[in-house]
Amino acid sequence: MATFLVDGQRVETRAGDNLLVAMLRTGIHPTGGGCLCMGGDCPNCLVTVDGVAYTRSCQVPARDGMVVQRDHLGGEEPALLPDEPGSPLRGIALHAGEDAGAPSVQRDAASRASAKGPAPVQHVHCDTVVIGQGDSGREAAREAKEVGLNVVTLDARDGQHVTGVYPGPLVVASDQAGHVLHVHPRREIVVATGAAEIQPVVPGSDLEGLVTARGATELVAAGIDLGRAVAVGERPAGLPPDSLVAHFPVGEGGWELVRFEGDGRIEAVVLRRHGDADAAEERIECDTAVVSLGRSPRNALARMASDLPVRIVGGAAMEPELPACPPEGTVCPCSGVTVADLDGVWERGFHEMELLKRATLAGTGTCQGGVCLPYLRSFLLERGGRLQPAFTARPLNRQLTVRELAAGAHTAVTARSPLHDEHLSLGARMDRAGGWWRPWTYGRKDDEYRSARERVSLGDVSSLGKTAISGPDAEAFLERIVPTRVATIRPGRCRYVLMLDERGYLLDDGILCREVSAGAGSGELLDDGMLCREADKGTGDRFFLTSTSGGSGFFELWLRDWAEAFGCDVRILNQTASLAAINVTGPEAARLLARAGARELPAFGRHRRVHVAGVDCRALRLSFTGELSYELHHPAADARRLWRRLLAAGGGFNVQPHGLETLLRLRLDKGHIVIGQDTDYDSTPRRLAHEWAVNLDKGDFVGRQAVLRTNRQPLDKRLATLRVNDPPAPDAGGPSAEGAAIHDEQGYAGYVTSDAGTAAGGGTPMLGWLYLDPEGNLPREVTVDGRPARRVDGPTYDPEGERARIAVDTASESPENVRDFPAVQPAATDLAGEGPSGPPRLRRLEATRVSATPAALDALVAEPPWPAGALAFRTAPDELLVTATPDFEVAGDPHAIVERETAFSYVWLDEATAKRFLDRECEWRRPEARPALAQGEVAGIPAKLWFEAGRALILTPAPFAAAFQRRLAGSLGETGEATP
Amino acid sequence: MSLRIPCPICGDRSVHEFVHGEIRRVPDHVTDPDERDLDFAFHHDNEEGVVTERWFHAQGCRRWFEIRRDTTTDRIVEPSES
Amino acid sequence: MNEFVERQMKLTWRPPKKSYDVVIVGAGGHGLATAYYLATRHRITNVAVFERGYIGGGNSGRNTTIIRANYGIPAAVRFYQRSVDLYRGLEQETDRWLMHQQKGILWMAHSEAAVRTERMRAKLNTEFGAQTQFIGPRQVQELCPQLDMSGGGRWPVLGASYHPQGATARHDRVVWALAEGAMERGAHVHQNTPVEGLILDGERVAGVRTAAGDVAAGAVVSAVGGHVSRIAAMAGLRLPIRTHRLQAFVTNHYRQQFGPIVASSELFFYASQTARGEMLLGAEIDPQPSFSYRSSHDFVQDVCRRALCLLPFMGNLRVLRQWTGVCDMSPDYSPIMGRTGVDGFYLTTGWGTWGFKAIPAGGEQMAELIATGEVPELIAPFGLDRFARDRTMADRGSAGTH
Repeated sequence: MATFLVDGQRVETRAGDNLLVAMLRTGIHPTGGGCLCMGGDCPNCLVTVDGVAYTRSCQVPARDGMVVQRDHLGGEEPALLPDEPGSPLRGIALHAGEDAGAPSVQRDAASRASAKGPAPVQHVHCDTVVIGQGDSGREAAREAKEVGLNVVTLDARDGQHVTGVYPGPLVVASDQAGHVLHVHPRREIVVATGAAEIQPVVPGSDLEGLVTARGATELVAAGIDLGRAVAVGERPAGLPPDSLVAHFPVGEGGWELVRFEGDGRIEAVVLRRHGDADAAEERIECDTAVVSLGRSPRNALARMASDLPVRIVGGAAMEPELPACPPEGTVCPCSGVTVADLDGVWERGFHEMELLKRATLAGTGTCQGGVCLPYLRSFLLERGGRLQPAFTARPLNRQLTVRELAAGAHTAVTARSPLHDEHLSLGARMDRAGGWWRPWTYGRKDDEYRSARERVSLGDVSSLGKTAISGPDAEAFLERIVPTRVATIRPGRCRYVLMLDERGYLLDDGILCREVSAGAGSGELLDDGMLCREADKGTGDRFFLTSTSGGSGFFELWLRDWAEAFGCDVRILNQTASLAAINVTGPEAARLLARAGARELPAFGRHRRVHVAGVDCRALRLSFTGELSYELHHPAADARRLWRRLLAAGGGFNVQPHGLETLLRLRLDKGHIVIGQDTDYDSTPRRLAHEWAVNLDKGDFVGRQAVLRTNRQPLDKRLATLRVNDPPAPDAGGPSAEGAAIHDEQGYAGYVTSDAGTAAGGGTPMLGWLYLDPEGNLPREVTVDGRPARRVDGPTYDPEGERARIAVDTASESPENVRDFPAVQPAATDLAGEGPSGPPRLRRLEATRVSATPAALDALVAEPPWPAGALAFRTAPDELLVTATPDFEVAGDPHAIVERETAFSYVWLDEATAKRFLDRECEWRRPEARPALAQGEVAGIPAKLWFEAGRALILTPAPFAAAFQRRLAGSLGETGEATP
Repeated sequence: MSLRIPCPICGDRSVHEFVHGEIRRVPDHVTDPDERDLDFAFHHDNEEGVVTERWFHAQGCRRWFEIRRDTTTDRIVEPSES
Repeated sequence: MNEFVERQMKLTWRPPKKSYDVVIVGAGGHGLATAYYLATRHRITNVAVFERGYIGGGNSGRNTTIIRANYGIPAAVRFYQRSVDLYRGLEQETDRWLMHQQKGILWMAHSEAAVRTERMRAKLNTEFGAQTQFIGPRQVQELCPQLDMSGGGRWPVLGASYHPQGATARHDRVVWALAEGAMERGAHVHQNTPVEGLILDGERVAGVRTAAGDVAAGAVVSAVGGHVSRIAAMAGLRLPIRTHRLQAFVTNHYRQQFGPIVASSELFFYASQTARGEMLLGAEIDPQPSFSYRSSHDFVQDVCRRALCLLPFMGNLRVLRQWTGVCDMSPDYSPIMGRTGVDGFYLTTGWGTWGFKAIPAGGEQMAELIATGEVPELIAPFGLDRFARDRTMADRGSAGTH
C-alpha cells in the first residue's frame, strides 16, 4: 500500500504499482492523452513528481509521500510540509529515498536540502554490462557469466534507466536507491533494450483511452478494467481473449485505421477496409483502443555508441518497420508536429532528415524521436523516393536531472597555503587568485601598505611555484630555458628571469638561484659567505627556480617537456607545495629577522640558508615591493611556527602582514609587472620593455628565434609607467582606472592595466599599454579618464632602488632576547592508523622525496637505507616518496635531490571504508594486487593510494587536504558531498 | 568520465587528469629560419586521423608520455597496431 | 503545429553550373552570409555555396546562439558590435522571424581578479561602442532572481559586467534566412556536395573539384569550420588552427522565465533560456584537439555540477539532449578573415566558439573584400598574415566561453 498526492488529492494504491498504473487505478489519467505505451517510449504519461517535471509516470514506482502534479511542466512545490496542520500530506509516511519508510520530517527536510547538491554516484567496474533484462538480455548475461565474466545487468523495470553510453566506455544509469550508477565495462556493452511499439498517427491519436498491446497487457495484469476494449493491428498476445470486444487486423486483407473519435476520451475507433479509399467507414464504439501497429527497435543506445564495443541483441537489433505515412495526424506528440506540418516544410525545400527535424522540431522532445522517427523516415521516403538514415542518436536516452547528472563531479579545488588558518584568524578576507586562496586584505589596507613602507610587513607567498633542478646538464638546460645567461649566476646568487614560450611571448617570470657548485666541500666557506650544505656535496650544478602562483600549475610540465625535448640529463623536483614562503619586507626586515634568530642574512641578489626561529629557511634577497626584502622558503610543516614567531618578534616593529591587494600596490610603485595582469598573450620582452632581461648573444633558448623574428617587425605598443596626479573623477566608475582608455592628442593611445591608487610619495603610478605614433614614438603626455598623465621612464618610487639594495650590517643586529631554537629534526614517521573511534582524519606526513635516476632508485629500493617499517612509494621511475627522514644519500646518483617533504596529508582507511569511499569517489579501476600503489584523481583531488591487505593509505597534497577531508566526510556520510 | 588516456605508469585514467601536448613538426620544405620558427610557433598539422601526441599525467605521476590517438574518433591506438 | 514549424522561408535548389564568379565552400552561417551579402550589397549572384552535408549542419546548427560584442580588444569590440547591429536589423531586412531576442548578458565575477577583469571589460567596451557596465551584486540579483548569490557558499557573486545588448536568435532560422535571401537572388546552394579538391592554375586557385564534377570559379572562399585545415591544405597552406570539440546541452522546458544570459568565467559555464523555454548550457572547449562529434558524460556532469553552484533551481530540471561541434580554434582566440597569399583563395576561419554571433558582420565584410578587392578596415586586423607580422589579436574576452 502506498499513499501519495496527485494534484492535492490523496491516492492510495497497491504496493508494486508504478505511478501510472496507480493513477489509472484511481481513475486519474495523465493530461494530454495519447496512446500509453507503458514502456517509457512515448511522452504520453508525463507528470511532475516531487518537483521534477517531465517524469514518465510508467517508469516510477508509486511511493509513499510522493507529490505528483499531472501538469508535467512542473509547478510550485506544495507549500505545506507533511507535519504542518492543513497539509494534505499529513499522516502520510514520507518518501525518504533509499531508506523509504523512515517517518521523520527531518529526513524530508534533509532530502529537500540535499536536492541542491549533486546526487551520490556509485562506480561499478565489470567486464560486461547488459542493458535490458528481457529474454535476450538475460540470455546474454547468462552466456557471459558462463565464461567467467563479471557481468552487471541493468533493467528499467528495476528502476535502472540508462541515460547514455559514452566513450570510456561508460554507461550512466539512474538507480532506484537514488544513486547514479557509473558502470565501467572492460569488455563489452550488450544492448538488449527490446523494441518499442509503433504509435498510431491518425486524427484522435491524442485522446485518452489509447494503449499499446503491451500496455494493455500490463494494465489487465494489474487488474485494471479496460471496459469495452477494441484491438487494432496485431492481436495482443498477452491479453486474455475475453478482455477484447473486437479485433481488427490492419494491412493487406485487413483494415486501415482512419481515426479515433471522442471528446477528450475515446468513444469509437473508425476503420475502413485496407486499400480502398472509397470503402465505407466502420465506427466501433469502445472504452479503450488497444493499438498494435508493429515494432520499432529501441536502438538509440547502440546508435550513440557505434564506435564502442557494443553488441546489440534481441528486439533492439531488429530492422525497423516503417509504417505507412498517414495522410494526417500528429506525428510528433512531444513537439506537436502534424503530417500537414511536415508537408508544409517539405514544400519549402526542407528535404533532409535533419532539416525536416529542425524546421518542425519533430523528434526533439522527451521521447527523442521514439514516436515520430519511423513516420519521418516513411514520410521522406514517400515524398523524396530516398530512404534517409535516422537522425543522430544523442544522449540523453533517458533524461536524468541536472542533480543526478552532476553525480560524482566536484568543482575545482582552490589550494590552501599552510598559513591559511593563520590568515583567517587575523581576520583576512581570502580571495581566489591563480588557483590559490590568498589573503586579499586583513581589513586595514592603508596600514598594510605603510607597514611595509615604513616598518616591516609579512606576506604569504607560499603559492609561488618552486622547483629544484639538478643534474649534469642542469646549467645547460636552464640556459636553454631562460633568456638570461645562467653561467654568470654564481653560487649563492639569484636573478630575476623571464620564461618565454616558443612564440617569444612571456609565459611567466621568477627567480633563479644557483646553489653551491660542484667540488665545494662540506662546511667550506664560499666567496660570499655561503656555507656549503652537506647535502650539496658533490652534487654538481643545482638550482632553485621560482615561478608565479598562477604559473605554478603548468610550470613543472613545461620544464619536463623541454628537458625531454633537449635530451638534458636533469632531475626536477616540484617543491611548490613542499615549501611555504614568507616575504619579510620593509626597512626593518633585517632587524626583525635578527631578533627572530637569523644570524647571517644574504646580501642583495643573493640567497643562503638561514635559521629563523629555528626553522630551516632559504632566504632570497631580492625585492618586489621596493623595500629591503627577504623571501624565506621553508618546509610547509614549519610555516605556522615561523609566521607566528615573526609576528610576535616584538621590538616595537608592530608587524602588520599585508594581503595581495597591498602587494599589488607596493609593486606598482616600483613598476614591476604582474603576469596576466600587465601581460597579454602577445607580450614580447620588447613590448614589455624587458629587453634587459633577454640575452640574445648567449646560445639558443626557448623563444629566441621568435624574439629575433618579432624584433624585426616594427614595434606597435609598449608597456609604460604613467604618473597621474589628479584623483579619479567621481563618475569614473570606481576608484581604479584599470581598463580605462589612454588618450593622446591623436586619440586612443592605449589602456591602463594596473592602478592601485596613490603611492607613498604622492601621485598615482599606473602601468598601461601605449601605442607608438606613426613616427614610432611613445606619447609622453596623455590623459587617463580625462586626468592628465605623464609617461615616466622609471619607477615612481625610489627610482635608484636604494631602499631594496640597502646594505645591512647584520653584525650590529645582535639578537636580543632570542632563544636559540633548535633546528627541526623530524622524527621517524609514525604512520599510525586511526583509533577505533572518530571519523577518519587526515594528518600531515613527514617524509622524504627523492629525485634520482631510475637505476639509482632501483638500487636504493633494493637495499633501503631507511628504517624498517618506512614505506617507499615509487611515484615515477625517477621519483620516490619515503615515509622516513631525509638522513640518507642516493649512492648511485651524485645529482640526486633528497628533500624533506611535509606537503602530503594521509589517512588510513580499513578495507570496507576504503571501498565505500572509493566506489563513490574514484572512477578508475583500482589495482587488485597487494600491496600496490595507485595514483590518480579521487574526489576530484590528486591522490596517491597505497593498498595493503585489509587497509588502504590515502595521500593527498596538503594544499588540498581540507577539501579532501570535507569530501571524505561527505562521501562516507549519506548526503553525497558535504556542505562546504 | 569519457575519454581515457593510458598512462604507462599509472594506467587508464580520465582525460581530465592529463594535459595534452602536441608534437610539432615543421615540414622540410620550409627552410627559412624565420619561416620555420613561425610555423613551429603557430601552425598545426591539425590532422584528421591517427596522430602521435604527448600527454602529461598532471593528477598522477606527473610525467610525459607518448600515445597515438585517432582524432576522428578519439580512439587510442595500441602500440601493437601499425 | 508549434510556433517553430517553419512557414516563411522557401529554399530553392538548383543543379550546379560549370562555372561561377565566386565559389564558397561550406554552407554554414558564414558561407551563406557571404553569399547573401554578395547578392544584396554587391549584386554578385553568380555564386555557389557547396556543402558536404545539409545547410547549417556544422557549428551553425550546434552553437548556443549567443550574440554579443563585449570583447577584450578594440578591434574585436568594433567588429562584433557591427555584428550585433546587423543582427538587430536582420529580421526586418530579411522579413523573416529569426526569434531575435535582446536579453542582456551578465558575466559574473567571484574573485577580485575577476572583478578587475570585468571592470576592465566594461571600460574597454564603452570606449569602443559596446554598452557594458560593471554592476554590483544587488543589481545582478535583480536582473536574475534565480541566482544563488552565495554561489553555493563557495562562489559568491561579487559583481558582474552587464552587456544589455547581449541577445540570442534561433540559429537555424538565421542560416535559412541567409540561404533563402541568397537563393532568391540567384545564388546556388548545393547540399551533399563535398569539395574534394581545388583547381589550381599556376599559383592561383581557379575552381573546385566537387563530388558533382569540376567547377570553375573566379574566387574561392573557404567558410569551412572545424575541417578547414583540409581545405587549406588543398591550397598548400598550413594554418594556425587546431580543431577542438565544443559541447552543449539543453534541459526540458523550464516553466519560469529566465531573463538574461549568465556566464561565469571562473566556473566556466554559461546559461540562457531558449525560445522554447529550455535551459541551454555551454562551457569551454575540450582541451585536446579532436574531430569527434561524440558527446561525453564528463562534460554534462561537470557543467551540471558547476551550474548547481549558481543556479540551484536547475537541480530538478531534466537534461534533454547534448551535442557537440568541432571548432576551428585560432591561437589568439580571434577570427582569421581575408586573403591567404594564394591568389583567388580567401579564408574565413578561426571562428572557434564565437562564430554564430559574427555571422552577419563576417559575411558582410568578406563579401566586401571579394567584391571590391580591398580589405575592409573592420577586418584588416584579422588577416592571416598577422602572425608573421607579430600582430596577433590576443583576446581574453573571447577565451573560455562562447
